[in-house]
Amino acid sequence: MSASVQLHLLRPGQSATIVQIKGESALRRRFAEMGIIKGEAILMERNAPLGDPMEYFIKGYHLALRKEEAAQIEVILLGDANG
Amino acid sequence: MRSSSTPRELFRLDYGGKFEREIARLLASFEEINFDSGHYPKRWLAIKLLEGDVDIVERVQAMPNGESVLALAQKGAEHLKSMLGDDVDLLTADRRYGYINGVVRQSLQRPRLDRITLTDRIDDIVTHKWLGLPFFFAVMYLIFRLVIDVSSPFLDWTDAVINGPIANWITLFLNLIAAPAWMHSLVIDGIVAGVGGVLVFVPGLLILYFFLALLEDSGYMSRAAFVMDRFMRIVGLHGKSFIPMILGFGCAVPAIYATRTIASRRDRVLTALLVPLMSCSARLPVYVVFGLAFFGARAGTVIWAMYALGIVVAMVAGMVFTRTILKPDVSSAFVLELPPYRQPAIKSVLIHMWENTREFVRKAGTVIFAASFIMWLLLNMPWGVNNQRDSYFGQASNMIAPVFAPLGFGDWQTSGALVTGFIAKEIVVSSMSQIYLNGSSTAPVEPTTFTEDLASIGGGFITAGIDSGKILLSILPGVDLIPADSQSEDTALSTALREHFTPLSAMSLLVFVLLYVPCVATLGAIKHEFGTSWAVTSAIYQTAVAWVVAFVVYQGGRLLGLG
Repeated sequence: MSASVQLHLLRPGQSATIVQIKGESALRRRFAEMGIIKGEAILMERNAPLGDPMEYFIKGYHLALRKEEAAQIEVILLGDANG
Repeated sequence: MRSSSTPRELFRLDYGGKFEREIARLLASFEEINFDSGHYPKRWLAIKLLEGDVDIVERVQAMPNGESVLALAQKGAEHLKSMLGDDVDLLTADRRYGYINGVVRQSLQRPRLDRITLTDRIDDIVTHKWLGLPFFFAVMYLIFRLVIDVSSPFLDWTDAVINGPIANWITLFLNLIAAPAWMHSLVIDGIVAGVGGVLVFVPGLLILYFFLALLEDSGYMSRAAFVMDRFMRIVGLHGKSFIPMILGFGCAVPAIYATRTIASRRDRVLTALLVPLMSCSARLPVYVVFGLAFFGARAGTVIWAMYALGIVVAMVAGMVFTRTILKPDVSSAFVLELPPYRQPAIKSVLIHMWENTREFVRKAGTVIFAASFIMWLLLNMPWGVNNQRDSYFGQASNMIAPVFAPLGFGDWQTSGALVTGFIAKEIVVSSMSQIYLNGSSTAPVEPTTFTEDLASIGGGFITAGIDSGKILLSILPGVDLIPADSQSEDTALSTALREHFTPLSAMSLLVFVLLYVPCVATLGAIKHEFGTSWAVTSAIYQTAVAWVVAFVVYQGGRLLGLG
C-alpha cells in the first residue's frame, strides 16, 4: 500500500482515492454533506487564477475547496489523466 | 402509503454491532423512565440524540423527562466515540453513504471521470490562470457600460413622457376641476417631479437586473466566487461573500439577507457591513444626473469609477475591521459547488427582473411619494413663504450646511437633499429637482391632442430603441455610430446644477453619495439580522468614511488646481 498524501498536493489531472479526513468535526460534517468520504475517488482539475482555491471533480460534480481545507483530506494517488 | 392491515416492514439501516448496541441501550432506558417521544419514532430519535443534532436536542429538552434522556444520550455518544474513534454524526454519515454507494454501484452507470464537457471547456477559459481575472473584470465592466449607455436613450424617453404628455394631462385635468394654484404646485412641482424623477430610472434597472439574473442563472456567479475567493480573503471575506456583494450593486436590502448563505456569523456581519459600500442601483440616478451634467461623454467612465471606488473603500474597511472589531474566528470552510453551465430560462430571468424592479417602483409609489409630499410641505411652509431659503426646509438645511462646506457643497439646497437621501438614495435627485427647479418648470402648456401625445410617446420609444441599438454596437471596438455632440441632451436640472457645482465639487458630492449612511431600509435589514448595535455601527462608520473621502477628493483636487 502506497503512502497517503494531502489532497492539495495533487497536480491538475491527477486522481486519487480518499483514505482519511481530518480537521474539526464541523468541517468534516460539511465534507460529509458534500459527499467527501473515505473511499471516494476525486480528481484534481485546476487551480483558481490566484492559485487558491482549487477545483475538484467528485461524485459527478465540480467542487471548489481552499488549500487549507483540502490539506485535511488524505488521499492515495490513483493515476494521471495526462498520461 | 399506510397499509391498514399489516404495517410494512420499515427500511432500517444497520449501523453496525457496537452502534446498534448503543441504540438498543438508549431505547431500553426510554422504556425504563417511561419517556414519551411524542410524534417522533423512538429509534430515529435515539439516533438523532446520539448524533447530537442541535435542533432535536433543543426540542427534547422541552419534553417531560427530556433532561435525563439527554444525559443518557450524551453518555452513550461519548462511549461510542471512545470505542470507534470518531464523532457519532460522522460515523452515521459514513454508514449511510456506504449503503448508498452499494445501491448506486448496482443500479447506475456513471459517466467516465475524464469526459470533456462543454462546461469544462468554458471553465478552461473563464477560470484560466491568466484569463480568469481579466475575464471577470471585463464582464463587470461590460455590464455597467451596457446598463448605463444602452439605457440612456430610454431614460430620456421616460423623462420626456413623464414631463411632457403625462404632466400635460394632469395639468389639463387640474384646470378642468378648477384646482387652486397651490394644488397645481403640489401635484406638478411636488409629486410629478419627485416620483417622476425616480421612475425615470426604471429602464436602467430593468437592464441591470437582466444581467444579474443572467449571471446567476447561467452558473457564472459561482465561478466568480471561485475566481475571486483568494482576493476576498485579503479583505477577510469568504468567496461566498461575493454573491451578496454583487447583489449589493442592485439593492443592499436583499444583499444583506443573502448573507444567510454564509456559515460563520463573523463572516456574515463583516459582509453586511461592507455590502452598503457596493454602489446600489438607487445611487445610480444621482450619478447619471451629475455625470451627464458635468462630464458629458466621459459620464460612463465617471460612473464606473464610482463603482470601483466603492469596492476599494470596502476593501480597506474590510482590512480594518478584520484587524480590529471582527478578528477572524475558526475559519468557515470554503466548500462550493460549481454547477454545470445552463442556458438561462427566459421566464426565470424575466421573473427576476420584474420582482426586483417591482420593489423599486413600489418604493417610488410609497416612500418617495410620501417624501415628495412632505418635502413640498416643508418647502412651502410657513404658509405663503416666497423664498425657499426661508421655508422650514431651508432653515433646517441651512443649519447643517457648514458641515459640508469643506467638501465643496456647503449650500443649504445640497445639504437638504442629502438629508432626504437617508430615506432612499434616489430621493436626492427628486429633492434636487424640487429645490433647484422651483418655479422655473411651468412652461406654458401647448395644446396637443390626446392622439398626438400617444403618437409622440410611441415614436419616441422607437427612436430610443434605435439609439440604444447604435450605442450597443458602438461598444464593440472600432464601431462608432454616435456623433459626438448628440451625447448629452441637457435637461433643466443639469443646467440648474451647473450653476451650483463645479466638476470638482460635483465629483466630491458623488463620492459622498456613494459612501454615506445606507438608506433606512438597509439599516432596518442589518438591525433585523444582527441587532441594533451593528446597525448603528454601520451608519456611523459609513458617514464618517464618506465625509473623510469626499474631503480628500475635494481638497486634494483643489491643491492639484482642479475646480
